[in-house]
Amino acid sequence: MRIHNHTKHLMIIICCVVVSIFPFFMAKADDFSSISSQATGQTVYFNAWGGSPAINAYIRWVGKRVEEDYGITLVHVKLTETAGAVTRILAEKASGKVSGGSVDLIWINGENFATMKNNDLLQSADWVSGLPNFALTNPEKIPGIISDFGTPTDGLESPWGRAQLVFGYDSAYVATPPISAEMLAKWIKNNPGQFSYPKPPDFTGTSFLKQILLEVSPDRSVFSKPADQADIDQALMPLWQWLDQVHPYLWRSGKAFPANYTALVQLLGDGEISIAMAFNPTEFSNGISQGILPDTVRTYIHDDGTLANVHFVAIPFNAAAPEAAQVVANFLLSPEAQIHKADTAIWGDPTVLDLSKVSASDQAAFMALPRGVATLSETDLGLTLAEPHPSWVGVIEREWARRYTGQ
Amino acid sequence: MILRGLIICFCVVPVLSGLAGIGFPAFGWFPPLGSEQFSFSFFIMLWDQPGLFQSLWLSLFTALVSTFLSYWLAMMLLAYLYDQSRSGWVFRFISPLLSVPHITVAVGILFLLQPSGWLFRFISPWLTGWDRPPDISLAPDLYGYALILGLTAKELPFLLLMGLSALSQIEVNALRDRAKLLGYGPVSGWFYVIQPLLSARMRMPVLIVMIFAVSVVDMAIVLAPSIPSTLAVRILEWFWDSDLEFQFIAASAAVLQLFLALLCCGIWFVFGAFLMRGLQMMSRRGIRFAVSPIAAQGLRLILLTLAVIPCLLSLVGLLAIIIWSFANVWRFPSFLPDVWGLRSWGYASGDLIQAGCNSLTLGFSAAALSVVIAIIWLENRHGKRWEGMIYIPLFLPQASFLFGLQMLLIWLRFDGAFLTLLWAHFLFVFPYVILSLASAWRRFDNRYLDVAASLGVSSWRRFLFIKLPMLMIPILTAFAVGFAVSSALYLPTVFASNGRYATLTTEAVTLAANASRQSLGVASVMQMTLPLVVFMGCDFYTRIWASRFRYFRRA
Repeated sequence: MRIHNHTKHLMIIICCVVVSIFPFFMAKADDFSSISSQATGQTVYFNAWGGSPAINAYIRWVGKRVEEDYGITLVHVKLTETAGAVTRILAEKASGKVSGGSVDLIWINGENFATMKNNDLLQSADWVSGLPNFALTNPEKIPGIISDFGTPTDGLESPWGRAQLVFGYDSAYVATPPISAEMLAKWIKNNPGQFSYPKPPDFTGTSFLKQILLEVSPDRSVFSKPADQADIDQALMPLWQWLDQVHPYLWRSGKAFPANYTALVQLLGDGEISIAMAFNPTEFSNGISQGILPDTVRTYIHDDGTLANVHFVAIPFNAAAPEAAQVVANFLLSPEAQIHKADTAIWGDPTVLDLSKVSASDQAAFMALPRGVATLSETDLGLTLAEPHPSWVGVIEREWARRYTGQ
Repeated sequence: MILRGLIICFCVVPVLSGLAGIGFPAFGWFPPLGSEQFSFSFFIMLWDQPGLFQSLWLSLFTALVSTFLSYWLAMMLLAYLYDQSRSGWVFRFISPLLSVPHITVAVGILFLLQPSGWLFRFISPWLTGWDRPPDISLAPDLYGYALILGLTAKELPFLLLMGLSALSQIEVNALRDRAKLLGYGPVSGWFYVIQPLLSARMRMPVLIVMIFAVSVVDMAIVLAPSIPSTLAVRILEWFWDSDLEFQFIAASAAVLQLFLALLCCGIWFVFGAFLMRGLQMMSRRGIRFAVSPIAAQGLRLILLTLAVIPCLLSLVGLLAIIIWSFANVWRFPSFLPDVWGLRSWGYASGDLIQAGCNSLTLGFSAAALSVVIAIIWLENRHGKRWEGMIYIPLFLPQASFLFGLQMLLIWLRFDGAFLTLLWAHFLFVFPYVILSLASAWRRFDNRYLDVAASLGVSSWRRFLFIKLPMLMIPILTAFAVGFAVSSALYLPTVFASNGRYATLTTEAVTLAANASRQSLGVASVMQMTLPLVVFMGCDFYTRIWASRFRYFRRA
């Protein structure tokens, strides 16, 4: 009898728990299906850097697919500089435009995300954890999915892809690539005019500076905390020392820099320089297949590991079509979109999904993707460095400009 | 009266409020960012920006030198070639450059003069021994010469066209004959007698060219040195900085740019006044610069070469662009592509067709609207006194009011609409249309209308069936000029449309900063084709029109 009673109680408790959890699950699914029904017929203005024809073509494909599946019109607003769109959203906030804003979805990470979050330019509540496909990611395996340069994403931006700094070299001119900051400095001095990096504040250029900084600093731990908590001059001194010794031996004697990584890769293709870098492990294979690079180009990373991060899409606070923007973000996370994106023939951007969470057929499709001749294997790419706190970006860029502008 | 009011409402007021929208933040007053105190602190911060003086110098230097070169080369060309039957080819050769957007010319010069460019490919490796590009660059260079070259190539044809139109208001042949009777040669006679009259009429076009050169962004991104770049480019960089404090610094820099433009114009006019004084003194002393015919011929050749070089380089650059767009693989030092192909056309076409349609719609509507309003404006006899107002958007550096204007548009909820974009284009297209139409319109012989009136033709019919057909050629030219101006606009397009309407120019600037030469080549080819087709279409139509008149005359 007593046992029966206990069981009964237990049953009631379980029922209560189930009943209280069930609607929670249901509500989530319901929420998203109601969101996607609201999204039908909406137009999403997706503000994303527009400098790569391959990425532009991918976004066009996404537009076609969300039109077919959800009746959403996707317009790619091609940005030259992502911060320009952030400024525009700020101007909208300043003039009281709290709805019907010009940006529905924006491609960001790191510093721009921190700026938008700190200025309340993003949606006020977590919308990402409600996306059905977000469940296919694994933040425990890739912490960068919920922590963008150390800033908690708080569900305000949805992961889209992964990036890692890799170096590409032309094996016709470089026998053994220099695999550390120290060796790189020596190589640059021995091969004057054959190395450069994109001009900061370009994203890749600043990343290169951070990479060198982390490698040559005696204590990396200061960089995981906000910059104003550290002795900035002392912390950055090793970087400036490194740059001061190599700058005279750079391409154009360090008096001019390429605008960004695509310009840098083009220089490698022309044979003006022998070593370049990019924030995408497959960039150099893509370059070979597009005829921009000679097929003697190969890639490597530094033996301390290289910077790695995740890039995201976010919805501004005043988006005109936040529902459709969520649906697009969810589609971007779908195995179909992620497989298409990881294909080197399309874009070659590594997936943010956890392969153990997707279906067997999708898993097989991921595995079947060709890696390209110049791409390192996942194990070779295994060594990564964590991004410094976003507040360091501005500090490094300003000081770089002060030291090297107009020399 | 109503028209004047409308023009003031639609052209002058927004521009002035845009100016205010920059002025307040420049002096620290911008409540949305939590700053409500007027102060000079942002000017002091601007002063502390690294390389500010180099940027200022670069802007001043490139603007003055390019304006000087394009103006005087255009004047020399006019002096030597005006009325000479064999000189037609020079004008025909230069005029396509008028329709090609600035960014395309810049890309062409880049493709020609960069270390891996066509020029070095031409002489490598057989002459230079280079099998890799050298570590020297002619474009972009470290001093701004490439930018000067690009601006000169673009502005020379414009000033030439303006000069021709100004000369049509001067009795050139009579004056020249009189100078000849007094013993002056064709050139000294020209500079003593005709140049002063011409200079007075060229003041406005020169001002427009100068201010454009101070504030040009798209061409400078491609051709100017990058650390530091020109002031105009840096203003844009500061506006697009994610650190919001730089909004104020950018606003201060925009105010500074206004003063820089004033300074450039001041230098120009002081210099011009001295030059005129010098000419006057020489003419009073009767210096005739008598040179032997052979020397004159030699001088003429040198000047022609000087004037043609920037244009020739640009045209060869355009050819390089076309070849790049059809190159699948093109390594240094191959003179021609290693593998030809259409891959980049396939890649880019989807976006570019859309952008091309936008450019076409926008260009046609802006040019047509401007031509119609310009005709109404010119028909209004009292228009001339107020005409200065129309040019205000061209007399201000674009950055100095466009950012403030964006704020205003957002506040009015007008941002991002097609009509707003059309209006922004109209602001810039209308003055150019007036500029190219006004002299022909005012020169029209009204006796034709008087004759018709005496035959009892109503004023509407006189306008529609006599004046309009007789002025069809200048109208079509003005339309083509308007279309070319619209298709070249960069900053106004970006700011009025929120980036939502991509035109070929915005695509090309994005690709110029980022993408491969092949894709940039495709975008640039489309960009030069569009205005050129419109130009040729107008030209073709003009010929048909003219031949019809000849038929009438014969009949």
